[in-house]
Amino acid sequence: MAFETVLLEIDGPVARLTLNRPRVLNAYNIQMRDELYQALGLLEENADIRAAVVRGAGERAFCAGADLTEFGSAPSQFIARQVRFERDVWARLFGLRTPLVAAVRGFCFGSGLEIALGCDLILAAPDAKFGLPETNLGMIPAAGGTQTMPRAVGTARGLDALLTGRTIEAEEAAAIGLVNTIEPAPSLFKRAAATARSLATLEAEAVRAAKAALAQAADTRLAEGLAAEARLASRLAFGR
Amino acid sequence: MARGPHIKAETRGKVRRITLDRPDSGNRVTEPLALAFIDAISGAIEDDEVSVVVVAGSGGVFSLGAEATLAEIGPESAARRGVAAAVGQVAKPVIAAVTGDAVGQGLELALACDLRVMSEDARLALDQIAHGELPWDGGTQRLPRLVPRSVAAEMLLLGRALSAEEALKFGLVSQVVPARDVEARAMELAERLANAAPIANAYAKEAILAGMDLPLDQALRLEADLAVLLHASRDRDEGIRAFLEKRPPAFTGE
Repeated sequence: MAFETVLLEIDGPVARLTLNRPRVLNAYNIQMRDELYQALGLLEENADIRAAVVRGAGERAFCAGADLTEFGSAPSQFIARQVRFERDVWARLFGLRTPLVAAVRGFCFGSGLEIALGCDLILAAPDAKFGLPETNLGMIPAAGGTQTMPRAVGTARGLDALLTGRTIEAEEAAAIGLVNTIEPAPSLFKRAAATARSLATLEAEAVRAAKAALAQAADTRLAEGLAAEARLASRLAFGR
Repeated sequence: MARGPHIKAETRGKVRRITLDRPDSGNRVTEPLALAFIDAISGAIEDDEVSVVVVAGSGGVFSLGAEATLAEIGPESAARRGVAAAVGQVAKPVIAAVTGDAVGQGLELALACDLRVMSEDARLALDQIAHGELPWDGGTQRLPRLVPRSVAAEMLLLGRALSAEEALKFGLVSQVVPARDVEARAMELAERLANAAPIANAYAKEAILAGMDLPLDQALRLEADLAVLLHASRDRDEGIRAFLEKRPPAFTGE
């Protein structure tokens, strides 16, 4: 299927998903939402794909955020809300069974950071810059950022990022565990592909169980999480 | 000092030190070791003279994990080998003396403790996924609660090992010292905790662990209830009196 704003390339068990609007720093617009929704669906349906890299086209940005030129273009708030949950790209991203590796160069702001936070691992080039600047525009993040950011880096750092909207440079992002690794820009995509290939060599069911367990850990009381872990581990080891 | 073939349990003052003692096998968790360990933990829970527990490994390693995969162990035996699950039942503070590498179930055991003192040349890792398995002694749940999500995912999915420096940076361990000092430092920490009032220690632990699992308003309620309950303890009176009289308190755990 041919998309414009998203490229989905498949190389054996590893897929590469590129946010593809390089002239506008891969800003997230309505077309990208619809195409990303479909592309994630294709990823999930294809059992041969065991891991994917998510990246931005070009050298300047992963995704600089939502395309503000389209703001206010919905016929009404009621239609906007209806569409938000009819094509719930975010629920699809957060619920994906395929492990995702984000490879971040340049700007990774707003929706861009929210996409990265929906990935399991984040690799970044030294020029990567992260931020949730929404409050400076009179908005709040709406693609999960108010929830995924504090879960990723802790409440204090989450509040700092959300309330100040400040830019977090790559080095700080690594220090606070927002990103896993800093990799020099020339080898970033290669390294991300290698990481995805490592994930692809693991037993698919074990990876799915691990992702499910991590999702439980973020979302439940410890006792419930421990019970879920026992169920997942036992199903994996004994098929029941 | 009680010393079986797998576990060593010693008491110094109010501190019970429980040591995994199969160093020639990397302190791997077998069923007999797990049974002896869980027995020692039960002993520490029941003994009113014990206010703090230290868990250590002998021979320069903490524990390299389970002796076999879950599929090989089988569900019935696995149910008897939950060493981390046993530590999760202790209301008293538990300190891990991470004397060397803690891998797989060995790391899960360390994660179930409240504080970790780590050797500067030790490594922490979960290796289960490489065997097509999931950690099953609490690791998938406790690790993401202790380190950033991206780090937990990388350790769980790719088996990334953390150095002591990284573990300290992420707050996973509270102190890093040379290998030869780990046990002494853990005992020092334990003795400091043992000088505090035991019920207050247990309530502080409960407030944090149970409170993290509750919505904030209910967690604040729990904290207030526990604090008020402590008003009824003799130790609280003693603590206040000793402070005013500028002398060390003599707590009795009542």
